[in-house]
Amino acid sequence: MEEGLLRIREVSKHFGGVYAVNGVSLDVKEGGICGLVGPNGSGKSTLFNTILGIHRPDGGNIYFNGNCINCLAPHQIYALGLVNAFQLPRLFYQMSVLDNMLVAARGQQGDKLLNSLFLRRKWQEQEKGLIEEALEILELMELDKWAFSLAGELSGGQRKLLEVARALMAKPTLLLLDEPAAGINPVLGRKMFQKLEDLSRNGTTFFIVEHRLEILFEFASWIYVMDRGKTVVGGEPEDISEEPAFYRAYLGEE
Amino acid sequence: MDPLLYVLDLIVFIGIFGILALSLNLEFGFAGLANFGKVAFFLIGAYTYALLSQIGVPFYLCLIAGATLSAAFGLLISLPALRLRADYLAIAILTFGEILRLIVKSESWIAGGDWGISVSPAIAISGGSHRVDVLVNIGLVYFCLLICFVIAQLLANSPYGRVMRAVREDEVAAEALGKNRARYKAQVLMLGSAMAGIAGGLYAQYLQYVLPGMFMPMVTFTVWIMVLLGGPANNWGAVLGAVLVTLFDRGTNIAKDYLTLPIDPSNLQYILFGALIILVLLYRPQGLLKESPIKTKALESVKRERSVVKGKGS
Ligand SMILES: Nc1ncnc2c1ncn2[C@@H]1O[C@H](COP(=O)(O)OP(=O)(O)O)[C@@H](O)[C@H]1O
Ligand SMILES: [Mg+2]
Repeated sequence: MEEGLLRIREVSKHFGGVYAVNGVSLDVKEGGICGLVGPNGSGKSTLFNTILGIHRPDGGNIYFNGNCINCLAPHQIYALGLVNAFQLPRLFYQMSVLDNMLVAARGQQGDKLLNSLFLRRKWQEQEKGLIEEALEILELMELDKWAFSLAGELSGGQRKLLEVARALMAKPTLLLLDEPAAGINPVLGRKMFQKLEDLSRNGTTFFIVEHRLEILFEFASWIYVMDRGKTVVGGEPEDISEEPAFYRAYLGEE
Repeated sequence: MDPLLYVLDLIVFIGIFGILALSLNLEFGFAGLANFGKVAFFLIGAYTYALLSQIGVPFYLCLIAGATLSAAFGLLISLPALRLRADYLAIAILTFGEILRLIVKSESWIAGGDWGISVSPAIAISGGSHRVDVLVNIGLVYFCLLICFVIAQLLANSPYGRVMRAVREDEVAAEALGKNRARYKAQVLMLGSAMAGIAGGLYAQYLQYVLPGMFMPMVTFTVWIMVLLGGPANNWGAVLGAVLVTLFDRGTNIAKDYLTLPIDPSNLQYILFGALIILVLLYRPQGLLKESPIKTKALESVKRERSVVKGKGS
């Protein structure tokens, strides 16, 4: 089998006695949308946070683009192009929507102390371009009208959209999205997935946890199913929906 | 006392505390770092200035040395800052300030212990009166205040300022978005401490002596009141807070000389300060001036364009 963009090997993470992730192995191939489903509490968010370096794995290895990333800090993992959007939005609420977007841009000139003071021309020039990119993404998410409002003034659904928009601003190689369509109206949710599909054709790979199975199964090219800290099965959406292990995970034994 | 001197004295104090307020505003207002040890860095600046000036080092080098040493201690303090929870950090820094004060107080070989040491005037003007002396100090203090203000404004309105605020809002999210929060916190504490060090040097220079009693924890709280009252994350607010609180502080100090009260007037001052902070937090938690949004050229021009489009649409 060809090497995946993201390779997870026997990764475990426990909190005290709770084995939130218990020996997970899986591969996310480059291109397209890869889905991760499983009942609540099966360890999906914990797996994401472990990949991102927010949690240290208790065992196993994680490779991104062939490099082991277990021991890297979140900001280093981000610099490699592995970015995420949190399940519960973690926005900068006292900052404008547009500023939330601009923070996330990768390779900024002006976010270093001395550059911000002494390379003003350079970052000002760069910022013009970044603002245009940010407004385009915001338009896509129907948030452009609120560009200059504080993020704290957005509704719950809009916060979710901004969380995803902000992650897109980083132009990631691999984007992890944790339930991006939760709390968003279904029409906009589908629209968002259509945009993500477009972006996936331009070189961004997506690894998405989503409870809206009907949307995810329509767009994903591969689905993994997690249950009680383990991946129980993986396959193409058509096959997964006929897989007994998938139903067992959701409906319990029997 | 010469009434004009009262006014000039007030102006000097406002300038020095303005620098302190700007430095705390950078740390707390923008980056969310609750530095309860501001006076420690003020002390380092003042004592460095005093000790170096005694051996004949020119005043500007004394100021720079004070700022540098203070920044180095800021860096040192930022190391545990990453490990400690915010409230423990507050206690740790607070204690650090008291320890420093007690060291210079009890180790009299350093700087005269309780008696302190004297400082020679920066620019000796032959035959200059006391007024001229104060005017020279005003020039020096306000020159430094201006530099600190410009730096604070440039940082606040740059991508760096955006990151500072992001770290304040949610440091985990900022880290997940590629910002090395440890580095940012260290830099901000260094910069804030350097400013406080300069303020300390100016203070030593103006009063022409330093002694441990000038660096009580109350100084830190006074600066906090300035920032909370003026409005955190607003540099104008920090300066406004410094003006108002200094007027209040020096005003009540002067009134002390003329009033007879049933209680110790210094205690009354502390009580009034406490009441003031509670009133601010209750009725105006954002301070007198609101947080100033990030302003950059590009943002401003987009804002303008959009308001034109909106105007046409309606
Ligand atoms: N920080 C934490 N501390 C302790 N337990 C946790 C923590 N995060 C998650 N858990 C536990 O780990 C398990 C998996 O949770 P989570 O990864 O959020 O599942 P999912 O995202 O699939 O719903 C749950 O039993 C949850 O209670
Ligand atoms: Mg979850």
